[in-house]
Amino acid sequence: MARQNANGKQIALTIATCWWLSMACPQAEEGGAPSAPPMSPPCDVPGSDIAAPASLPNVVAALQNGGQEKVRILAIGSSSTLGNGASSREKSYPSQLESILEHTLKGVDVVIVNRGIAGEVAETTAERIRNEVALRKPDLVLWQLGTNDALARIPLPEFEEIVRSTIRWLKDNQIDVVLVGVQYTTRLVRDANYAAIRDSLQKIAAEEKILYVRRYDAMRFIAQRRASLQLMASDNFHLNDLGYHCMAEHVAHALIVSLFAKRARPVQN
Amino acid sequence: MRAPNEVDFWRGFALVTIFINHIPGLYFERFTYRNVSLSDSAELFVFLAGWAMRKLVDGPAHALSAKWLTWRLESRAFQVYVAQLVVTEFAIALLAAASLYLDAPFLLDWHNASAVFNDPVAANIGVVLLTHQLGYFNILPLYVVLIFIAPAVALLHRAATAYLLLVSGTVYAGALVLGINLPTWPVEGTWFFNPLAWQLIYVLGFLFAGEDGPGGFVRRHRPVLRWLAVPVVVLGAAVGITNFSPDPVFVPEPKLLFAFSKTFLSPARLIHCLALAMIFAGTFATIARWLPRLASYLCLLGRNSLTVFCVLSLLSLCGQIFRYVYGGSIATDGLIVILGLVFLGFAGWAAEWRDRMRMASKSPSL
Repeated sequence: MARQNANGKQIALTIATCWWLSMACPQAEEGGAPSAPPMSPPCDVPGSDIAAPASLPNVVAALQNGGQEKVRILAIGSSSTLGNGASSREKSYPSQLESILEHTLKGVDVVIVNRGIAGEVAETTAERIRNEVALRKPDLVLWQLGTNDALARIPLPEFEEIVRSTIRWLKDNQIDVVLVGVQYTTRLVRDANYAAIRDSLQKIAAEEKILYVRRYDAMRFIAQRRASLQLMASDNFHLNDLGYHCMAEHVAHALIVSLFAKRARPVQN
Repeated sequence: MRAPNEVDFWRGFALVTIFINHIPGLYFERFTYRNVSLSDSAELFVFLAGWAMRKLVDGPAHALSAKWLTWRLESRAFQVYVAQLVVTEFAIALLAAASLYLDAPFLLDWHNASAVFNDPVAANIGVVLLTHQLGYFNILPLYVVLIFIAPAVALLHRAATAYLLLVSGTVYAGALVLGINLPTWPVEGTWFFNPLAWQLIYVLGFLFAGEDGPGGFVRRHRPVLRWLAVPVVVLGAAVGITNFSPDPVFVPEPKLLFAFSKTFLSPARLIHCLALAMIFAGTFATIARWLPRLASYLCLLGRNSLTVFCVLSLLSLCGQIFRYVYGGSIATDGLIVILGLVFLGFAGWAAEWRDRMRMASKSPSL
């Protein structure tokens, strides 16, 4: 119990420190997002190209109430979650994100379960989400989605209905959800379905007031500014180790900014 | 070739429904019954598999000793297992060919196939062990497990039928209360159709098909049970239409008992499937009288369910690739459905033609 209290104090101290730093941060615009862990030079992207902060009330409550030592995150989605193109499973974005968050949230045991299944459409993932939530009771679900629905030509209203109903079910379950959007790839840059799904995710996130990580914008920024950097594997579709590292940094940035924002502003992705 | 009958008819119906449901986004999917139902064709298919097994055990296999009954059922399990391996390999080749032809590497990802290309050493072992299953190709692995345990079901029924439901129900309850499922490997996860849960609907199909025990009870009280089933089916329709699911905050533990989980075949889905069966059982004669060609077609599919299932799995994958290339208009989706139904009928006809040739020549299988 004493150890728990000590850790709880440490977590509270971390939050307070981060909060104080964010307030004191010279880069932060007035009323803007507080500072987040610095990104590595290859992955550095303006925060505005990653996500607009949104509230994560259930994760915050889990951290503040009773000095919880553990944050349980379910990372679910398709090949970008599974880590296709990475040299090992440890290089997948959920594994790298776990390390980044544990380093940032000192004293908090961040446990991320990877439930990526390549090539899966949102409807099937939604079914798995309900099972995984019933079994694992995570504090946060990171749902990476969109690409396979675009390729399978799922009608937009059908896609939106599935995503919305799952988000609302998660909210009812007192679990925060973050949508991790589609990636930037020259292969699909002219695909109308791909663009429509991307816009749709942005719209859903804004209307549901949840955090949406705009991978497409972040990766496009890097591709345009650092053309020599290779974020993609040889098939020019999946990410490589560096690509997954950047993805993890961007998701971490979005999470930390949202977690320690004084009050999340209305989402305007 | 056996005469058209109710089980084959509804099996054929389930197969057609599965074909359409396995092409995500297909326009005509909205006309399948899962949109107005809590349970879907997967429950119906497994329930009828149990039913057909009872007809076998009480019929042609009635006089078989325990040893020969076990041998016969395990031979069938092996046949389904081989079918699963073959159809999985065809699906992988189909995705690989489409990926090459269309210069679309992302097709190698579809339905969890990517591990076969990215981690072939482990994934190929997983395919053989059934721990690596492609999405939409995951009903047959469940079926393999169910037929694998079928001798235990049949022999327990012979020795002490009263204990069959008790044992099956206990395994089911244990799976839901403790959240136990079989693991997948090398991709971490669990089976989409949890055999520990789904065995119950198979056993219920087996029991209700009998003239005695629970089957006899149902037959004796059919009018009352049919009326009781009506509100369940109506509620299921409301759930299907509204996409309602219980508010998880107010659902007591263990939540899987009260959720609408397909993987764990939650009680609500199970009861709904039984209610549907209660209402539609016995309607075959009327349907066959008024729609004889439809009845004949669906019975043809149902009689050759394994062959047709394998073909429909591959056809639905072809349909998905077609939609990727040509988009998803009503016209192209209509073409997919029409061609699919024609090919399914041809597959059923070809399977029976082959059997007839084999019988005529009285030669061992080629």
